[in-house]
Amino acid sequence: MSNTRTIRFTLNGAPVKTDVEPHETLVDVLRQRFNIGGVRESCGQGLCGCCTAIVDGIAVSSCLFLAMFADGTAVDTIEHLGSSHRLDPIQEAFIEAGALQCGFCTPGFILMTKQLLDIHPVPSDDDIRHYLAGNLCRCSAYPEILAAVKLAARRRNSAAEPA
Amino acid sequence: MTSFELVEPRSLEETFALLDRDDPAVRPIAGGTALMLMMKSGLFSPLRLISLRRVEPRLAGIAFADGSVRIGAMTTFAALEHSPEIRRHLPVVTRTMRTLANPRVRNVATVGGNLAHADTHLDLPLVWIALGAQAVVVSPRGERIVAVEDLYRGYYETVLHHDELIAALHVPLRPTWRSVYVKVTTRTAHDWPALGIAVSLARDGSIIRDARIAVGAATKKATRLIQAETVLRGAAIDAAAVDDALLARAGDAAIGEISIEADSRGSASYKQHLLRVYLGRAVRAAAAAEPGA
Ligand SMILES: Cc1cc2nc3c(=O)[nH]c(=O)nc-3n(C[C@H](O)[C@H](O)[C@H](O)COP(=O)(O)OP(=O)(O)OC[C@H]3O[C@@H](n4cnc5c(N)ncnc54)[C@H](O)[C@@H]3O)c2cc1C
Ligand code: FES
Ligand code: FES
Repeated sequence: MSNTRTIRFTLNGAPVKTDVEPHETLVDVLRQRFNIGGVRESCGQGLCGCCTAIVDGIAVSSCLFLAMFADGTAVDTIEHLGSSHRLDPIQEAFIEAGALQCGFCTPGFILMTKQLLDIHPVPSDDDIRHYLAGNLCRCSAYPEILAAVKLAARRRNSAAEPA
Repeated sequence: MTSFELVEPRSLEETFALLDRDDPAVRPIAGGTALMLMMKSGLFSPLRLISLRRVEPRLAGIAFADGSVRIGAMTTFAALEHSPEIRRHLPVVTRTMRTLANPRVRNVATVGGNLAHADTHLDLPLVWIALGAQAVVVSPRGERIVAVEDLYRGYYETVLHHDELIAALHVPLRPTWRSVYVKVTTRTAHDWPALGIAVSLARDGSIIRDARIAVGAATKKATRLIQAETVLRGAAIDAAAVDDALLARAGDAAIGEISIEADSRGSASYKQHLLRVYLGRAVRAAAAAEPGA
């Protein structure tokens, strides 16, 4: 008996469907079926954040998330944040602050930063360190990442002020 | 991971029909954070997983009534962490959340899955024991109440049958008690603890009226320290400095009543030392805290 089932969800704003096996993880399905390169499996254990995806507005480690649980949800990845014509202010801040070297961890850091700034528009250093504790950067760009998050917060807050 | 069947029942009745009292390869799945790690590493190969995500509403929600709070088993760590009522009435839970895992795991991991996982390194079961919490356990045979301290049989082992589910947790509200949780990590701050210790004290002026203490990570299972509590109960303390001799006696009692296990985070003798030191620190911190903390 096959346990395959069709799941339907919204991927980066567009409705999609695919057949999945119960044991498939969301990170594998996004990469293999939908060519989403912005989620990467690194630790596979929920520790590093390279596989971060946003499911119904909530950040999850897609390496620990069964693809079938995405049925009926809205899934967003870094591909949905800005476009090559117009980057999100957080993406711009990461580039300006030099907060990446190889860039493998960057989608996860940026998506988590967006969640952080939605909750704490003016985060303290402690808030930033705490919130990003589940994101690891093997190139160790941590000081620049901290600076990028603060720069992004300033940008977002000044953009939010009435002109 | 090997293949398995995944079902998502809509009611408890359907769930019970899918569970199997005799087959450990048929399991409920809540957030899946613990199960996924076990399946990925090959420690667990299920035949069937029964998702509790759509079994509303008996497993969901945080509700306050009559001096206690009922926390549904499917409540996520993030929901607890961000609940203003939990912060007001059980601030030790809010504080402990910040030491657990990371925001993505907390968005998904559930209170029920955490209780049922029965890993002695988990932090929250210790806090629930110190707070005097009880699990509401449901099965085709009805409902039973199990104090969290009685939930564990051994390493990764609970007293639950395979067809029993944790539906909720009942936590008494004790506005005069003060509670502290200390997670002792020996490598990095986010490592699993070498020792976890939760202390809850009730004070009448300078007398310790009552005490509840739980340890984990150094023992096979989350364990209440009854003898150490007895040493503290009725003792006179000076709020500014709890007497060293009293804490030494409590430490002796603690070491005497449990079997301390070595693991990769420390030898048994090192963990004994940690227990003495951190029991004292946790009792001092709880004694000095504001009522309701
Ligand atoms: C990277 C990482 C770091 C972590 N760090 C910590 C930490 O520092 N401290 C800490 O305490 N926790 C930590 N956790 C979380 C913890 O290990 C568990 O993963 C989590 O609490 C389990 O909840 P869950 O809902 O995901 O359970 P699941 O994985 O879905 O289930 C766990 C077990 O409980 C059973 N189960 C689930 N729900 C019920 C129910 N209602 N009734 C009966 N049985 C049930 C399942 O069958 C399974 O055996 C961490 C997890 C990860 C991935
Ligand atoms: S790959 Fe998922 S958190 Fe590291
Ligand atoms: S930039 Fe290389 S891992 Fe972070």
